[in-house]
Amino acid sequence: MDRRTVLKGLAGAGSLALTGGLSAPAIAQGAAARTLRFVPQANLANFDPIWGTQYVVRNAAAMVWDTLYGIDSSFQPQRQMVESEEVTDDGTTWTFKLRSGLKFHDGAPVLSKDVVASLTRWSARDPMGLMIKALQQELTAVDDRTFKWVLKQPFPKMLYALGKNNSPCAFIMPERIAQTDPFKQISEYVGSGPLKFAKSEWVPGAKAVFEKFADYSPRQEKSSWLAGGKQVMVDRVEWVIMPDPATAAAALQNGEIDWWENPIADLVPVLKKNKNISVDIGDPLGNIGSFRMNFLYPPFNDVKARRAVLMALSQEDYMRAIVGDDNSLWKSLPGYFTPDTPLYTEVGGEILKGKRDLDAAKKLLAESGYSGQPVTCLVAQDQPITKAMGDVTADLLKKLGMNVDFVATDWGTVGSRRAQKTPPGQGGWNMFHTWHAGADCVNPAPYTAIRANGDKAWFGWPTSAGTEKEVTSWFEAKNLDEEKAAIGRLNKAAIDDVVYAPTGFFLSYTAWRKNVSGVTKGPLPLFWGVSKSA
Amino acid sequence: MLSYILRRIVATLPVMAIVALFVFSLLYIAPGDPAVVIAGDQASPEDVERIRQSLGLDRPFLVQFGSWVWRILHGDLGTSIFTNLPVSAMIGQRLGPTLSLMIVTLLLTIVVAVPLGVVAAWKAGSLIDRVIMGFAVFGFSLPVFVVGYMLAYIFALELEWLPVQGYTPLTQGFWPWLENLILPAIALGCVYIALVARITRAAMLEVLQQDYIRTAKAKGLGQGGILFIHALKNAAVPIVTVIGIGIALLIGGAVVTESVFAIPGLGRLTIDAILRRDYPVIQGIVLLFSFVYVLVNLMIDVTYTLVDPRIRY
Amino acid sequence: MTDTTVNPQSLPAGLILAPQLPDILRPVKIRRGFIGLLRGHPTVAIGGALLLTLVLIAILAPYLGTVDPTALAPAKRTRAPSADFWFGTDVLGRDVYSRVLFGARVSLTVGLSVAIFASAAGLAIGMISGFIRWADGILMRFMDGLMSIPPILLAIALMALTRGSVGNVILAITIAEIPRVSRLVRSVVLSLREQPYVDAAVACGTRTPMIILRHILPNTVAPMLVQATYICASAMITEAILSFIGAGTPPTIPSWGNIMAEGRALWQVKPYIVFFPAVFLSVTVLAVNLLGDGLRDALDPRMAKSL
Repeated sequence: MDRRTVLKGLAGAGSLALTGGLSAPAIAQGAAARTLRFVPQANLANFDPIWGTQYVVRNAAAMVWDTLYGIDSSFQPQRQMVESEEVTDDGTTWTFKLRSGLKFHDGAPVLSKDVVASLTRWSARDPMGLMIKALQQELTAVDDRTFKWVLKQPFPKMLYALGKNNSPCAFIMPERIAQTDPFKQISEYVGSGPLKFAKSEWVPGAKAVFEKFADYSPRQEKSSWLAGGKQVMVDRVEWVIMPDPATAAAALQNGEIDWWENPIADLVPVLKKNKNISVDIGDPLGNIGSFRMNFLYPPFNDVKARRAVLMALSQEDYMRAIVGDDNSLWKSLPGYFTPDTPLYTEVGGEILKGKRDLDAAKKLLAESGYSGQPVTCLVAQDQPITKAMGDVTADLLKKLGMNVDFVATDWGTVGSRRAQKTPPGQGGWNMFHTWHAGADCVNPAPYTAIRANGDKAWFGWPTSAGTEKEVTSWFEAKNLDEEKAAIGRLNKAAIDDVVYAPTGFFLSYTAWRKNVSGVTKGPLPLFWGVSKSA
Repeated sequence: MLSYILRRIVATLPVMAIVALFVFSLLYIAPGDPAVVIAGDQASPEDVERIRQSLGLDRPFLVQFGSWVWRILHGDLGTSIFTNLPVSAMIGQRLGPTLSLMIVTLLLTIVVAVPLGVVAAWKAGSLIDRVIMGFAVFGFSLPVFVVGYMLAYIFALELEWLPVQGYTPLTQGFWPWLENLILPAIALGCVYIALVARITRAAMLEVLQQDYIRTAKAKGLGQGGILFIHALKNAAVPIVTVIGIGIALLIGGAVVTESVFAIPGLGRLTIDAILRRDYPVIQGIVLLFSFVYVLVNLMIDVTYTLVDPRIRY
Repeated sequence: MTDTTVNPQSLPAGLILAPQLPDILRPVKIRRGFIGLLRGHPTVAIGGALLLTLVLIAILAPYLGTVDPTALAPAKRTRAPSADFWFGTDVLGRDVYSRVLFGARVSLTVGLSVAIFASAAGLAIGMISGFIRWADGILMRFMDGLMSIPPILLAIALMALTRGSVGNVILAITIAEIPRVSRLVRSVVLSLREQPYVDAAVACGTRTPMIILRHILPNTVAPMLVQATYICASAMITEAILSFIGAGTPPTIPSWGNIMAEGRALWQVKPYIVFFPAVFLSVTVLAVNLLGDGLRDALDPRMAKSL
């Protein structure tokens, strides 16, 4: 018994004497054991997983809303809400049948019309959804449990699109909610997932509460990522938002929280020393750091200037700045695809390997015609990852002889400013940092950042005909060998044109109290199967 | 008296109007387009424009300001851009923790600082006085977050006497509520205690030199009686004043304290809202804070008549 | 109302310490000279000496065994203090000793600039309100409005409008401090106008600028000087808080607030990253506060007597 418990006991005795109450502490303890207190990576500021694409929203939404298919740990889409599907031989007409007994949290059954409305809203916002929408002839409910998606051309990656874990996921909502304009937020959070969202207890920026949904009917299979039976073992999951990592670390050591999604690397040694805490890699797919350049304006409109950056940047510096001294947490990444996944390749990545050649880089930069114009770097200070990379970049560009205009700001501002296509001096920019979840970089389907179709591409608007051609050939690939070949060519083309500069691959830990069991590795924190003893 | 209060209330109206205009124009000229943020990563320029229109962001300044004031006068603070929740509800959720923190800090300050100041004045020039005033100067000199980290480290992590973070509503018991507020209140109160202790000392010194204190001493009244009944009562006006003015200090400090101790209060809401440029929320909060400040100072003016019967309006 | 009451609005919020300034002031006369001042008021001497040392450290930073405070060395990160790294290294392997010494420049620049600019602007606004009746109402309503927004919040909000730079930090904190100074100046002016010798001057037909120059300004110097030191101290703390929140000095410039903000998460494991800048900040603020207290005692004879 520690001193705090004694103090509490004394206070408890006092209040007992005052109120004559009984067994209140016992009840509190029982409830505590059935409540999982979790510190997420970021604040759940809004809760519409189609409208908002932040990972934290997706992670919360995966508890509340279910999907038709779910990706398992081998990246295969498995049936989740769907009982069976059929596709015509020409690949254009998909017919799906829902499992029976699916219910929304308000008690209403899940019907085809709900699915049709949900998929319509999703396909207006999701990159893969947009591809399907472009091919769509009709999406209709056949009966209460059957619906049909008719396309003009085959779309072989249909099931992957419906089950992928990349935001926005194809979550199924009741029709009345799904009819909300896709560019406006929903205001009701009713799903058919294993947990209900307790809206009355939601304090954006501080707390979000999820309660077990008693009427959820999990699948019989073992759970694997977003697939299989989602068995919830606690009554409540409480998300506690902590803006200060030092506070979160202390709270975990004190047992005030049960699970901390992303402890910063430098605090991990302290957590590991604590006999009540388990620490492990959370997401084996990790993250890829990105140094994103603007193709529209000098100096980075010239491939030579972009290659000069690749030639000079030390991924080790970036990675150490992010993960600290733990060498098991990072890898150098001479390419764009997630290490240890089927399509990983290093083809064409020589420029990122070996000793860094600052002089050659300077020479190349000079050839590009760079002559000291200011280079506007947007760096979000409120994200440890972008902040650390920004500091390294300021140093790197200075060494390259560039005149750095360092715009230290917050993530929200980076988010809006990076969309500006105006010149850097007039509200635009030259480079910013971000990172991509490894799960999003396993293949080109969810990988918006690798696309290089100019104006239509992600921020920076890279143009690389070679890259785009190989994206198409991957989508058309019939088997894994063809896919691999296409990805090899894609990687080379993207590095040659420097679609963006990868700063390395890094993993992060997750930490939980030893009385919590069932925490599994995955691309997002998975709450099913997690239990807690007193 | 009543007419005085009424006059004071009327006098606060232009102040509030200026705050409103100031806050609104501040955010009107702020960089960063909320429509872009709202539309999200995959939105096209047309989508952004549609959102801008639906938020009314494309209308002229005065029109936007007018409709904003109109809605506020009807008690509608608007809807948060990011959470899609009513601003009044968001502020309501956060009021409890911040109010609790303020009250505990205020009580702590009065209980600690006033006696310290009285003793320092009584023993003016002595070692005790120097030590107390030394601490008071030191209290000014420490950033609130450094104090917060030190307290959390010593009393929560090492000694395990108190929780590191969080907030428990009063409805779940007095001790759980207080337990979570002790460390933040000390951290937040540091500057405030220093300030009030110094003012108390200065005001007491002033009063202790007055004739009636000498008379009281001559009458043979006890030291305690003189200090705490006669002198303190007469020194109360500046002390009460500075306590009121210090509310602004507390609100500012709460912004940092709440994030160090993970208290879900208005301070954190403010930071979040400013960083995300959540216009309606920032406007609502600043208006609220100004309102509270004006109200507290109004209350203090009224208090003068209670502590100092010589004051008549 | 009796003369011992304090109008709450005449009291600048925050760090003001002399509750009843105006009616007790006499023209400043320091008869004993500078040395006498120091001898009679040891706090001035201590505070002044400390501050002078810090200013020297800031100016001489490049010659005090420092290296480039922004040079990264990720391979040598978070080293504990040692003979090589006196104050250790931070999360990016930068030398904390060099950063703290160069950081003194930022903190002192911010503190002093805000004190000067806020005093100057406050003086101007206060004088105008004290002498021009019609402007008084407008200006003071505006100041009341600004003053009712907590200064740190106001500074944060202003910083959100613009990008982080030392100049903008100074501007934001200055704006947040102006209302209090102008209130103080105005109340001094108003009470001086009631003084018999000012009345006499007015009666003699002395023109307003002359009255200001001869009677008002000299009497405003003392409370202004004292107030300026407190503004300086609070500005340095505010700068640290702004950086701590991420809305202050850009991270490419080492300031004490930035160093602490970057080390805060590691407080439990690498306390020295926060410790050294915190000590420097506290000592600096302490020095300025001591100086202010000492000056107040020296320039305000009645207060001095009671000490």
